[in-house]
Amino acid sequence: MKRPAAVTELLEELKRLPGIGPKTAERLSFFLMRGSEDQARRLAQAIIHIKEKIVLCSQCHSITDKDPCEICSDPNRDRSTLCVVEEPHDVYIFENMGHFKGQYHVLMGVISPLDGVGPPDLTIDDLKRRVEQNNLKEVILATNPDMEGESTALYIAKLLKPYNVKISRIARGLPVGGDIEFADSVTLQKSLEGRMEL
Amino acid sequence: MGLYKTPGIVLRSMDLGEKDKLVTLMTEKFGKIKCVAKSARRMKSRFGASLEPLSYVHILYFGKEYQTLYQLNQADIRKSFQHIRENLDKLYRGLYFVELIDSLVTEGHPEPQLFDLLLEGLETLQEGNDLEPLCRLFELRIMAGLGYTPRLDLCISCKLDPGPGELGFSFLRKGVLCGPCTRKYQPETRITPGTLNTLRRMLSIEIRNSSRLKFPRGMEEEIGAITRRMVLAHLGRELRTYAFIKNMALV
Ligand SMILES: [Zn+2]
Ligand SMILES: [Zn+2]
Repeated sequence: MKRPAAVTELLEELKRLPGIGPKTAERLSFFLMRGSEDQARRLAQAIIHIKEKIVLCSQCHSITDKDPCEICSDPNRDRSTLCVVEEPHDVYIFENMGHFKGQYHVLMGVISPLDGVGPPDLTIDDLKRRVEQNNLKEVILATNPDMEGESTALYIAKLLKPYNVKISRIARGLPVGGDIEFADSVTLQKSLEGRMEL
Repeated sequence: MGLYKTPGIVLRSMDLGEKDKLVTLMTEKFGKIKCVAKSARRMKSRFGASLEPLSYVHILYFGKEYQTLYQLNQADIRKSFQHIRENLDKLYRGLYFVELIDSLVTEGHPEPQLFDLLLEGLETLQEGNDLEPLCRLFELRIMAGLGYTPRLDLCISCKLDPGPGELGFSFLRKGVLCGPCTRKYQPETRITPGTLNTLRRMLSIEIRNSSRLKFPRGMEEEIGAITRRMVLAHLGRELRTYAFIKNMALV
C-alpha cells in the first residue's frame, strides 16, 4: 500500500532539516499523527512565527523580534565596547554568561579561504562603519580560536588599525578544569603567551 | 583491519555532526587520506590544536585497506607553523599550497615527493620573505611531481636548441618552442630567453633555496603566466585561495 500523499509531503519536509534522516522523519511524523490537532497547529504556528516575526538587527546583525534588538536599544549597556562574534547564537552564549555589559557585532560567519568565503560575504564593512561613526573605546574580537577565527581576527585588527580604538582578542590557552599533562604544544604555548600577572 | 602510522600535514578539517571532525591529510607514506576524528570538536578534545590546517603531525589511524574513510586515533604536533598563521600574507599562501595539493592529488596513492614538496614549501614559507618566487616554484614543482614536467631543454617541435630571441610556450604540448617554430605554430604564450633560463633553474633548485631565485621586474609576470597557467590548464578552474593572496595586498 502506498503512503497517503499528505504523509509523504510531511516526511519530505522533515528530511530537509539538519540531522534528520529517513528513520527520524518517520518517527516524528508518527508522533505528530498520533498527537492532537491543537498540538500540530501550535508547532506549525511557531515555525511560521519565526519567519514572520524574527529579523536581523540592523545594528549588530543578531536575530531579534524588534529592530534594533533589545541589547542595541538598552540605554544601560556600555556603548563604547563592541564584542565581535561569528554567529548570532554566540551572542546568546555570551549573554548567558552574564558578565559582558557592552554591545555586539555578529559577522554572520568567518573568513574561510578554502571555502571561498571572503570579507564581502560577511558584515565586516558594516563593522568598519560602526567603528568610524561611533566613539568606541574597545573592540573585542571573540571569533573561535581556530585557523579561520584567528585569521579573521587578524584581518579585522589590520583593517581597524587606522582608527583610534583599542583592539583586543579573547584569551587562548588551557580550558578551565583541564590538565597541563594532556595539553598539546600549541595550546600550551598560547597559554604562556597569554599569561597574566597575579 | 590495519593500523597505520605516518607523518602527515593537515589539509582540511571540517565539522562532522556535533562532536566529530572530518580531516583530510597529505601523509608521507600513504598519500592523501580522509579520517574521522571522534569527539574532536569538544573543548577538551585530546586532539587539541593538532587538526588545524597546515599542522605537521605524526598520526596513528586505522581502518580496512582500500576503504576511503579511516578513523584517527592519535595526532601529535611536530610543527604547527605559528609564524605562518600569524601573518596573513604567509597564511593565505600556505592555504594556497594546501589547496593545490588537495585539488591535484587523488586519494590513496603514496606520493612521498609531493608530501616533501608541501613540507618544504611550508618550512620555507615560515622562514622566508620572498613569497612570490616560492609560490611560482611550488606551482611548477607540483606539476613536475604529478608527471607534467614541461620540456625546456629543446624546442618541442624541431628538437633544436631554442636559442636567443623571442620564444614561445605551449601549454597543450607542455614545452618551449624556438623562434622559427613560434612564428610557424603561434603558441598561446611568448617568453624571453631569460624567463626560459629561470624556468630551467626552477626545475632543479631546492625549495628551501627559493630566495636565490631573483625575478627581475617584468619577468615575475612572465614566469607566473607559465607556472600558474600550467596549473589552471590542468585543473580547469581557478583556486579559491588565490583571490585572497591578491586581495590581501590591498588591505
Ligand atoms: Zn542589535
Ligand atoms: Zn623549433
